[in-house]
Amino acid sequence: METLVNLGDGLLAALSPGNLMWAFLGVVLGTAVGVLPGLGSAMAVALLLPVTFRLDPTSAFILFAGVYYGGMFGGATTSILLNTPGQASSIATTYEGHKMALAGRAAQALGTAVIGSFFASLIGTLVVAFFSPVMVSFALNFGPGEYFALTVFSFVAVAAVVSGSVLRGLTSLLIGLAIGVVGIDGQSGAPRFDFGSAVMLDGIDVVIVTVGLLALGEVLYVVARGKSAPDFAAIRTGRPWLNRRDWKRSVGPWVRGTALGSAFGPIPGSGAEIPTFVSLGLERKLAEQRAKRKGDPQENEFGKGAIEGVAGPEAANNSSAAGTLVPLLGLGLPTSATAAIMLAAFQQYGLQPGPVLFERNADLVWTLLASLLIGSVLLLVINLPFAPLWAKLLKLPKPYLYGGITLFSVLAVYAINTSVVHLVMLLAVALLGLVMRAFGVPVAPALIGVVLGPIAETEFRRALAASSGDPSILVGSGISITLYVLVALAALIPVVAGLRRRAADRSAKASVSERDGVSEKDGVS
Amino acid sequence: MTVNGTERAVPAGEGGDPAAGTPAGTAADTAAGARETGAPGTAADASGVAGAGADGTAGTDLDPALAAARAAAETASPDPETVPWSGPARWVVPALAAAVGAVMLWGALTIEAPPNATRPGPGFFPGVIGGLLLVLAACLVVTNLRGRSTGAANALEWFEARPVLIVLAGLVAHIALLEFLGWLLAGALLFWVVAYAFGARAYLRDAVVALSVAAAVQVGFSLGLGLSLPSGILGWVL
Repeated sequence: METLVNLGDGLLAALSPGNLMWAFLGVVLGTAVGVLPGLGSAMAVALLLPVTFRLDPTSAFILFAGVYYGGMFGGATTSILLNTPGQASSIATTYEGHKMALAGRAAQALGTAVIGSFFASLIGTLVVAFFSPVMVSFALNFGPGEYFALTVFSFVAVAAVVSGSVLRGLTSLLIGLAIGVVGIDGQSGAPRFDFGSAVMLDGIDVVIVTVGLLALGEVLYVVARGKSAPDFAAIRTGRPWLNRRDWKRSVGPWVRGTALGSAFGPIPGSGAEIPTFVSLGLERKLAEQRAKRKGDPQENEFGKGAIEGVAGPEAANNSSAAGTLVPLLGLGLPTSATAAIMLAAFQQYGLQPGPVLFERNADLVWTLLASLLIGSVLLLVINLPFAPLWAKLLKLPKPYLYGGITLFSVLAVYAINTSVVHLVMLLAVALLGLVMRAFGVPVAPALIGVVLGPIAETEFRRALAASSGDPSILVGSGISITLYVLVALAALIPVVAGLRRRAADRSAKASVSERDGVSEKDGVS
Repeated sequence: MTVNGTERAVPAGEGGDPAAGTPAGTAADTAAGARETGAPGTAADASGVAGAGADGTAGTDLDPALAAARAAAETASPDPETVPWSGPARWVVPALAAAVGAVMLWGALTIEAPPNATRPGPGFFPGVIGGLLLVLAACLVVTNLRGRSTGAANALEWFEARPVLIVLAGLVAHIALLEFLGWLLAGALLFWVVAYAFGARAYLRDAVVALSVAAAVQVGFSLGLGLSLPSGILGWVL
């Protein structure tokens, strides 16, 4: 009940005309960036980070919330219309969504995606509002040792579980950690890796790393690929109105997708794409069973453009986007690249997410949560009528698009401190980003390393200082032991998944002949 | 369900590129090559998940949890992250890891801790990072040496150096000239050079667009956010 009162107060604070304008701007920008292939909401937030220096924290986070949700939806638009997911969390939407578009039902696919995203954001935000305080009361028992265990857990989860190759994920993470130790050591005051440059003493700003790796690195990568880079084709759309049958078939997937997304979102390293695929698989299985029960194969439209296959994954990715805010606000633990940048944004304002934030800046937290609600309403209002218009953005000539991104990247970094040395650092980081992309080394672990590395080091050394050098403090509580057990389990997941995949391949191979037989029959009928 | 490489290759080659940016052809090749099955269904499973797929029914025969876990594992690992490296370029990442590791270790040994600093001191973390990076570099070298050379390996054949160098030259020029020329001219120059690298050849129109974008940014930032961008020579002339 108290939660609802707080949320109501937050809503009143957030509903000023100025804040509404920022939320609006955020949703528009987020959707625009999400629509463009290769540019995720993480990049949009990274580019906006320095711009928000001049805003007060509330407006800045309202802007970010809009960008985050808008980006999630923007990705769906291209998945459906072009079979080109704007970001990883929209991949699941491509299968049935693009089939619907090919069948002339693009408008309905967009409609179910928008309404599903709205519903999921709404529920997801309520979940965050109710669970963050729980997370906080849990986090109050944390000492430096436990926080260090938490960061280690986050490192392993991101580097080992999300990355395709554990070795490459760890390489990325360690390079990020290495970037994070540059500058004056906060504990002892000793300069580290400054190479005689005064600017380096301040460390390598998170904005430089995010803009370099995500935005400018992407520009270099796309230009390096030349003709093999994606080209944006022509698009047909209509107005996204759903008929009664569409509604009836979408509601179930929305609810299930939202539940899945909310459950997976707070888990570090799970990302937004896992729940979308779980949702797609679940809806497909349910449709098969329904068709079997009714004895009517028409009930199962999977493979031909099933609306359930769009409604479920789209609800899942928006609610998991909200879910990642639970550990971010409650523990100060980012579980995705976007969340890592948002943590950096909190730090710019001298705020440290976690229990202390809820005590000292409770009004800010509740305003942020309320702004998420506003963001989801605006998402619906802006995107339901204008979804086809967004697709037109793809017709922007590529040279101008990337010229603009380059210009904004440089501006974003120059704006930090109007320092040309920062631009040189940006160039170096962008080259690193190009190398990582060219060799298939994931970028997200490096970002997590840069943001969480200094926290991990501080907590580690604080713990040892408190115990006067006795390392047993690191495993001195049930919480840290549990976290280390989870680390071990997380490290084992890729191994187990590999084994299961091999087993699944064998069974898939065995069933290929059978499936091909079925498809021939389909072809005849 | 008739899934085969050709049917998928049509959309994939044009616009079916996943967020992570795999050339779709490579993805399909890898799937087929790595599993050495050649079975069309299997190849479609992997490349389909990578975002280039046209067929969503692949994998229906598996139980949903397993299918989801597989799908998740494979999406979370877009193909470029698992494609082995080949050619001389395969030593780039191990060398990078080793170099950063060496710098970290060197730092760990040479950073001077203030006399009253608590232990572990400021050199401890860089030392651990450096050591781990060197171990990782060794693991990457071993992987490279053991890796079989498959047709789908990432040998950087697609890499076009010329446009990359043009963009880099544009950035260097922008950085060097920003405070002298001012944001408007240096920014427009950067925009123009990048557009040129991406293949724009309507020089005059590009220049007009570049100047307008740079001007819009300058006006928007100075008025909207109170951020001052360098005016450069235009400031002295006008």
